[in-house]
Amino acid sequence: MSIVKVIDIASARSGDKNNICNIGVMANSKADYQLLKEHLTSEKVKAHFGELIKGEVIRYEWEALESLNFVCYEALDGGGARSRRMDNLGKNFSSHLLRMELDV
Amino acid sequence: MSSDKVVRVAGTQGFYGDSPMGAMAIVMNKAADYLMHDSLAELTLSILQKDKMRDPSLGYPRDIELHAKILFPATIKSGIKVVTDSGGLNPAAAAEKVKSILQAQGISGAKIAIITGDNKIDELKDLKEKGLLANMDSGEAFSFDKMPTHANVYIGAQGVKDALDQGADIILAGRVADPCLMLGILAHEFNWTIEGDNLSQKQLDLLASGIVAGHVLECGGQASGGNAYSEWPMDYSIHDLGYPIAHVSADGSTVFTKLDNQGGKMSRNTVREQLVYEIHDPANYLTPDVTVDLTQIKLEEIGPNKVKLTNVKGKPKPEKLKMTIGQMEGYISEQFFFFSWPYAWDKIKKFEEGVKGIWKRLPYPVKDFEFQYIGVDGIHRSAAPRPSDEELNNRNELGLRIVIRHEDPKTSQAAFSSIICLGLNGPPGVNAMPGWGKPNRVMLGLWPTLIPRELVHPVTKIIEV
Repeated sequence: MSIVKVIDIASARSGDKNNICNIGVMANSKADYQLLKEHLTSEKVKAHFGELIKGEVIRYEWEALESLNFVCYEALDGGGARSRRMDNLGKNFSSHLLRMELDV
Repeated sequence: MSSDKVVRVAGTQGFYGDSPMGAMAIVMNKAADYLMHDSLAELTLSILQKDKMRDPSLGYPRDIELHAKILFPATIKSGIKVVTDSGGLNPAAAAEKVKSILQAQGISGAKIAIITGDNKIDELKDLKEKGLLANMDSGEAFSFDKMPTHANVYIGAQGVKDALDQGADIILAGRVADPCLMLGILAHEFNWTIEGDNLSQKQLDLLASGIVAGHVLECGGQASGGNAYSEWPMDYSIHDLGYPIAHVSADGSTVFTKLDNQGGKMSRNTVREQLVYEIHDPANYLTPDVTVDLTQIKLEEIGPNKVKLTNVKGKPKPEKLKMTIGQMEGYISEQFFFFSWPYAWDKIKKFEEGVKGIWKRLPYPVKDFEFQYIGVDGIHRSAAPRPSDEELNNRNELGLRIVIRHEDPKTSQAAFSSIICLGLNGPPGVNAMPGWGKPNRVMLGLWPTLIPRELVHPVTKIIEV
């Protein structure tokens, strides 16, 4: 077993649709994509965000872009114009995801 | 129409308030045939509704006035057309304003088109009586208990095509779905059929290709090196970031590029990053005109600052259109305080104790509040790793953001003026930030619903300058 930091093998961008935040995670290579596909599960992402994401996290695989797309429900404290958070639009969910570490 | 025809569209506005400099550079270099501007985020519509309630001649993004002064004279002179949703909630008033600003500069003969029919705020009662407006996510029935601030249907590209077919130089649309601004341009140039029940797979693929090109452009500089983790540490300049330009061919294939003499970068990574942005299921990206399947796309770098996108697939459009209703739910207010070394963290905790004690005695109860620690968990809240108390006490400085949600606008004044006394009565070494913290930001709920297409009638009208 070894630890892989997501920031070392991928980049990410996130954005909002009302109270839903999506985080696109783009692997640096095809091999990195396989690693992410195997180890970066929606359960792990939900756990990493803890109380920030109240609803479910759905993962879409996007092989053509070597990317995974995580759609996080009830994730923005009610949505952009209801949220008390500084990151009311979830633009920084990407940064927090990049901080994840995977046991591979 | 020759098959090697290429249409050049630049995405030069990503939001209400974006810089016009990227657009100016592209116009000066004559590097595009069209500028596509998107200024309507969900929240923007509620801001515009507030403007319109204050003054019925407003209700459109005001930067259209700056564009009419400095950008449109140049686009008209160069024959470059501008397609924007900056008509907002009041395209007719936006067009009158643009017309008067152009006339004041001695410009005549230009055609401004407006596209309306998306705004349903005055029809909500009727629609509810028809049994419509249920929340498309929860199924809940709509209620007027919370005041509706706006109600706009995402409409498709047909109006944009019609306006261009009629010779429009500037299109000021209402809530045309962002990427449909692009699709309308391409449908006009390549004579693609948008509406029709029996479109062939090839026709659907073309529509889908246009949508994806529009999706890449709709956030402006975010496609050409802005906001890009994948290009960090960004070995290019950002002060003069070159906005994205799409070169679209008749078969729907698109090469994304940017001006070589501007900053930013166009790479497979920058386009990939924008493609995943605000998309849910990549196999079913829903738009008013076509459902897009992005899972088979081919994205390749074909040269410096040149990225080619092909093989976008289309499926029939969704049966109904999406409408979003804004609902007034109260206000959000905030204030900031900063605490220096020593004991920065303990001082914050003492300050909080004072705030809570004072608020208990207020005639306007503050019930919904949060204390957020800038430099610790301001952005990622409880998900951020928490340093030890000792480490926090040793920081040079820490910030406290107090944010409250409230129904009565008077609550914010009471809440924040009542705690200013802690500047003298509270812990030592506190900096209040006069002028920071905006009181009474409108707290807005967004109610998504589906509406039958036959109840939506987009109208395109031409106004001559």
